[in-house]
Order: sequence, then C-alpha cells, then structure tokens
Amino acid sequence: MQQIFAMAWLTWKAAFRFRLFLVIAGLLLLSVIGLPLLVKDDGTARGFTQILLTYTLGIISTLLGISTLWLACGTLARDIEECQIQVVATKPIARWQIWLGKWLGIVSLNALLLAISGGAVYGMLQWRADRLPLAEQKVLRNEVLVARASVKPPDHHAEIEQQTDELLKERLEKVPLDRDSIAQVRQQIREQIKASKQIVPPGYSREWTLDLGMARFSLHDQPLFLRIKFNAAQKPASGTIDGFWQVGLPEGNTRPWFSGPLSLAPDSFHEFRIPPNLFDSQGKLTVSFLNVPENPTVLFPLEDGIEVLYREGGFGLNYIRGLGIILCWMALLAALGLAAASFLSFPVAAFFSLGLLTLVLASGTMANAVSEGTIANWNAEKGTKGWSPADIVVIPTFKAILRVISLAKDFSPVDSLSSGRSITWTELGLAFAQIVLLLSGGLAVFGMVVLTRRELATAQGTQ
Amino acid sequence: MPATLTSLTAPTDATPVPTGETVVSVRGLTKVFKDFWNRPKARAVDNVDFDVRKGEVFGLLGPNGSGKSTTVKLLLGLLHPTKGHLEVFGHSPRHVATKARIGYLPEESYLYRYLNSRETLEFFGNLFELPRKDRHQRSEQLLEMVGLSQAHLRAVGEFSKGMQRRIGLAQALINDPDLVILDEPTSGLDPIGCREVKDLILALARRGKTVILSSHLLSDVEDVCDRVVIYYGGKIQAMGTLRELLATPDTIRITTPNLSRPTLERVLEVIRKDVAEDRVRIDTPTQNLESYFLQVVHNARRAAAETSGAMSGARVAAYLRGNAEEKPVGDKLLERLTAPAPASTPAPASAAPEPSVDEQRLAALAKPAAEAETPAPKPAPTAEQTAELEKANEKLAGLMSKPK
Repeated sequence: MQQIFAMAWLTWKAAFRFRLFLVIAGLLLLSVIGLPLLVKDDGTARGFTQILLTYTLGIISTLLGISTLWLACGTLARDIEECQIQVVATKPIARWQIWLGKWLGIVSLNALLLAISGGAVYGMLQWRADRLPLAEQKVLRNEVLVARASVKPPDHHAEIEQQTDELLKERLEKVPLDRDSIAQVRQQIREQIKASKQIVPPGYSREWTLDLGMARFSLHDQPLFLRIKFNAAQKPASGTIDGFWQVGLPEGNTRPWFSGPLSLAPDSFHEFRIPPNLFDSQGKLTVSFLNVPENPTVLFPLEDGIEVLYREGGFGLNYIRGLGIILCWMALLAALGLAAASFLSFPVAAFFSLGLLTLVLASGTMANAVSEGTIANWNAEKGTKGWSPADIVVIPTFKAILRVISLAKDFSPVDSLSSGRSITWTELGLAFAQIVLLLSGGLAVFGMVVLTRRELATAQGTQ
Repeated sequence: MPATLTSLTAPTDATPVPTGETVVSVRGLTKVFKDFWNRPKARAVDNVDFDVRKGEVFGLLGPNGSGKSTTVKLLLGLLHPTKGHLEVFGHSPRHVATKARIGYLPEESYLYRYLNSRETLEFFGNLFELPRKDRHQRSEQLLEMVGLSQAHLRAVGEFSKGMQRRIGLAQALINDPDLVILDEPTSGLDPIGCREVKDLILALARRGKTVILSSHLLSDVEDVCDRVVIYYGGKIQAMGTLRELLATPDTIRITTPNLSRPTLERVLEVIRKDVAEDRVRIDTPTQNLESYFLQVVHNARRAAAETSGAMSGARVAAYLRGNAEEKPVGDKLLERLTAPAPASTPAPASAAPEPSVDEQRLAALAKPAAEAETPAPKPAPTAEQTAELEKANEKLAGLMSKPK
C-alpha cells in the first residue's frame, strides 16, 4: 500500500504545485457563489431551488467532470511522454499499482473539491433561504430541504402486455394478417389498453391505490404530498383544468380528504399537501380524481402521473449521499481518462475521453433507434417503421451500449435533491457497485493490463 | 619518459575467468522496433550475448544509436525483447520484486520537476517501502553525498542539468541496490562531478555491488570498468576485460625508465638472439582504449555493419548549410570515430610494429634526459604533478590487477 499511497501523494503534489487544485477550487467557488448573485430567482421556493441547487450542482458536476478527465489523461500520459514513468517503473512497484495510485489520487482530490464546493452550496442554500417569503420558506423546508421517499401506483405493464396478446389472438382468429400488419395491429391494441388505464373522460373519475408498505408504521401523523401530472386531449381556453381530488376512503373513524375544485395546468407537475393518517391498516392509500363534464379528456401517464411523497429523513445526510453519487461519477471519469492514457498520448487520450463522454450524454438518439427498432425513418403518423440492413448489427449494439450507459446514467442525484427526494443508502451503495466497482473496475482492469503490457521506453523525453 | 620494448612473439595473458554469481544474463537478445503497421523499422539490438557477474563494473560502450540504451531498457523491462532471453538476478526483467535490488539512472534525469530534491528521494524511498526513519536518514546522506544539501528545498525543475544528474544519481542509490545501472552518468556533470561519480562507482564495486555503465565517453569506461562490450550497429563488436582488449595479444611490452645506450644495446642483443631485428620495436606506450575503440568501429564500418542508430559523419542538410563550407567536426572522439574514412589509409590505431629498430629513436631514448634533443626537453614535473601521476598509475595498476 505504501507504493500506492506514494503515487496518490504524487498526484496531489502535481495538482497543488501546478496550481490546478487552486484554479479549480476557485472556479467552483466562483460559480457556486457568483451564480446566485448574478441570476435572480423568482422568489418562489421552486425558482430558488433551481438556481441554488440544480444549476450550481450541475455546474460543479460539469466542471469537476472535465477537469477530472483532463487530469486523469494528463497525469499518466505526460508521465509516459516525459519519461518519468521510466524511473518509477524500474522501482519495485507493479504497473497496476501505479495506475491505482494515480486513480486514488484523482478521486481523493475530487472528494476534497466536491466537499469544498458542496459545502459552499449548502451554506448558500441555508443562508439565502431566510430571504424568501415565509410561505415559500415553508414550502422549501417541507418539499425541498428534506429527504422524501415516494410511492407510485402499479404501472400495469405485465397486465397490459397480457391483455394485448389476448386481444391480438382473438383478432387474428377472426382476420388473418401478414407479418408486418401484425406488429402494427399489436401496437395499436397495446396503446388502446394502456390509454384505458390512463385516461379520465369528462364526467368520469379514476381511482389509484398506492401501497405504502412498511413505511406505514413510521407515517402516523405525518403529512403526505401528492404529486401529479396530466395531459389534456385539447388545450383548455383558460389554460387550466378543473377537477376534484379525494384521498382516503371512509373507514372506521377515518374521513377522506377532499380537495374541493382545483384548477391545474396540464403537462406540468403539481404537488399538494394531504393530511396524515389517510391510509388503511394495510398501508393502502386510495387517491381518486373526478374530471368535471366541461373538461376535455385528461390522461395521467402511468410512469409519473400519480405519486405520493413522504418525509423519510433530513436534507443534510441526503445531500451528502447525493454528493457521494456525483463522486462515483468522477471516479468513473478518472478511470476513463486513465484507461485512455494507458495506450494513447495526452491530447489523443483527452480527445478520445471527451468524445466518449459526449456520446454518452447524447445517448437519446440511440435510445430512440432502439425503441423504434430501426435506424431508418419512422413514420409516426402511421406508426410504421422503415428498415435498414444495418439494423441487424446496430440495434443490438445500441442496446448493449445503452445497458452499459444506464448503469451510470440511471442515477440522478441533482434531480432528486432538487425535488427533495430521498437518496437512500441502498441507492448510494448501488451507485458505488454499478459505477465504481463495475464500470470503473472494468476500465481499470483494461487500463492496468494495457499499461502492464506496454513498452514504456519508446517515448523520447519531452520535458 | 619510459621506454617500451614490444615483441610479437610473446605469449598472450590467460583470460581471467570472472567468478561468482551471474547477475545479468543475456542470450541472443534482439530488439526490432516496428512501425504502426508492425513492419520492422529499426534493429536496435541484434543477437547480443553477455553475462555480468556480481561485483563487476561492466561497461556498455558505443557511439550514439548503437544499442546501449536499448539494452539497458531491455534489462530494466521498459522494453520487451523481440527475440532472445534476459535474466536479472535469475528473474525476468519485469519481475517486480527483483527491482528492489536495482538502482537506475536514466540517460536524462527524468524526475518530477515539481518535487524538490528531498521530496524526490522521499517519493522513491516510498516506492521501495523504506520505513520513514530509513528514508529520512538515507535522503540526508544522499543529499550530502551529491552536494545538494543546501538546495534540498528547491524544485528539481529549477536545477541545472548537472544538479539534476546528481539528484538522479541519489534516487538511483536510495535502496542501496545490488545492481546499479547507470546510463551516461557523467553527462552534464562538471569535471569534479565526473570524478566523484567515478569514485562512487569504484566505491560501490569495492562493496561488492554490480555496476552496469552505459556510456559513449571512453574515459568513463576506461577509468572504472572491469569488462566492457563495444556496440556498433546493435551488435557487439568486442567484449572482454580492458586488459584483454587493450593488450596487443602477440607482443609483450617491457616498460622501463630511460636506459643508458650500452644497457639498451645489451638488452637488444639478448633479444635479437631469439627475435629477428625487424620484429623488435622501441617506443613509448601509446595504446589506449580510445585507439582500440577507433579500430573496432573502423573495422565494423568497413564490414558494412548495419546500424539503426545515428550515423555520425553525415553532412548537414544542404538547406541548413546554405553556402557555408562545412566546418571540421572538431576533435570529439566519437565524431572522429564515425566520420567517413579519409581517402588515404591511416595507420591502424594500434600501430603495427616498426619494421626495424629505429636507431635515431634508440639513440634519443638512450641519451640522458638533459642531452635529449628530440623532442625538446619538458620542464621537470612539480611535486603535485608527480603525486597526481603516481596516483593515476596506482589506479591503473589497481584496475589492471583487480580480481575478476
């Protein structure tokens, strides 16, 4: 371990002596402190959160990400190009230890930078929160500066697929279809079934049952928050849709909560507080919506139409766990940079790593191609797809790439922190396992093997 | 000046057989550098064999690009051989634990410019897993030894090249290595520094350490090495002890102080009984490593030895020379060695024996120093000079008689 720590110490020395640490720390603090001073929020808790938490954490992640990639490529590639590695590698230190020492050095530097900038964000958040109007402060403390868990109704995925297959079978028994038409018909049937579970026509109501599970034991006398989102078949003239909400069922001494007429805009999230103790003894909470007859049909998406949030813990620890996930990302970028530098020169390694990062960030195109099943044009109106011979190779490749990318991309600590959602220890552990152990570990094994096999004395010194 | 008698009929000395543990074993070592498409680009080392035994100071000698540094890097596992077998302390050069017994000074001081000299030694001490106390102690002593105690807080990047060589040498010795590999150790050092490095090498050898010294500076090698290999074009052109290489094998040399003419006549008379007159030569000793090396390289070039390295003697590109006449390359030895051979064939470096006794020379040598006319008498050496000469003689005597 002494050798690994010596390499990590060397990385620290380089970062400090070349003033890289000071420059990055200065930039981070400038962004974190300067941005809220330059960009004024709208005085609401949401606006405040967006600027002081979402933007600042976004900037921290971006700045640290780029500097980590740059430092990782530079620390190894430059050592090889400037031949210092020739002196180090002739000492009793294995190449994998050199690699690991540098990685540890970069990750620990990131941890310090993240602690400094994260601490500044936290301080700014607490300090500036007092300037908000009292009502907004209350919203902020209840809905953002907390760690809230959430419960959603079942997404009915399996049920939808089963019903689709049954209906398709019946249809085919009556009217035989060719292969291409079968796929189209199946898609139409599926959408119909799915819609039937989402839409609420005018004058009708819909009921969702949410299972609070074991959390019910800790939620007595605790308020809950209903978070909803819906789409409207037609855009209402007033811009809002009126409706009535009921939470809970009349059972024993429990009385349901009625919202009264609520006028809400479609296509955006709304959150309102509901009184405690509305769930039954099994932890089941019933939520109903009544669409008034004057309204158009409304649709509550299965994925995020209805959600109930409840307080699980404080913001401080949640915030640290969120920063922990960001640090996991940095560890991955450090591994990516070092792996690239294990076989490429500095500028090429930096370019390669940044290119790969851009590809990951733009993975939406790949996801579209995978969902459409082709890289050829998709006719959205007819619901028909084109076909390309490359699909045979490209679509499975895209699927595999997306699966790998999702191991890191599925975590969204900034969004969670901004919406006051809980980042559990399990989630942090999962992030560590997927991002650090699996992805970074894979890159580390690749980088270490390449570095071990590489001839280190082919470069002529450039220092 | 002492006179020397040389006879071609004298028996050669028996080759001293090095004894002890083999530290480095090289068999059929070949290194071919390849291009991006894996096509052979340059054959830097070509089928080289040698052994280095414990306690030896072993020299790798050759012009730039002859394969010395490539061999060193192969020995250290920084390059991988294309063919052949290498062992250091009985292990592959890439065996990590073995590296704890090796100290290496590269041809340039590839050190971290942002560390100061103390931090540099601390860092390398950590790589050898030295305990803190040992690290501090050794760092102090090494800084003292290389004369950088006063500059221990200055960043290595601010050092002159000579100072960088010194701190580089210190890091190579932080682990008290059993095998020290020094690539051009005196490059960039002032004469005092060069002397100190050479003394250090000899001191290491006295302690039973093995030293491999790669250099194109003949004086470095001549002063400290027990055995040398001479590289040219990636191949070993000659190998052996300095005595083997420098001696003319079928002659003997008797070196005496100036003799009176009658005495010299008597000696010659005895010799002429066994050896034809035209095979006896009287001269002053001139044979040295430099001339031998010159001959080896000359022969190698004549044999059109293939080289992948720098070819000395190439003319500067015309557009760079402009209209200026090319200046003489100067008197640097290696430049002279590798310069194209002049049209007239020069006398070989190890001059062939004179066809007969040079009577005039004999007369001059037999004259008392004061009476000698040719060359003009030199002023008597001072006591200091005499002491220096004696010291040098002692050193050479010691070097030549050192057990292998």
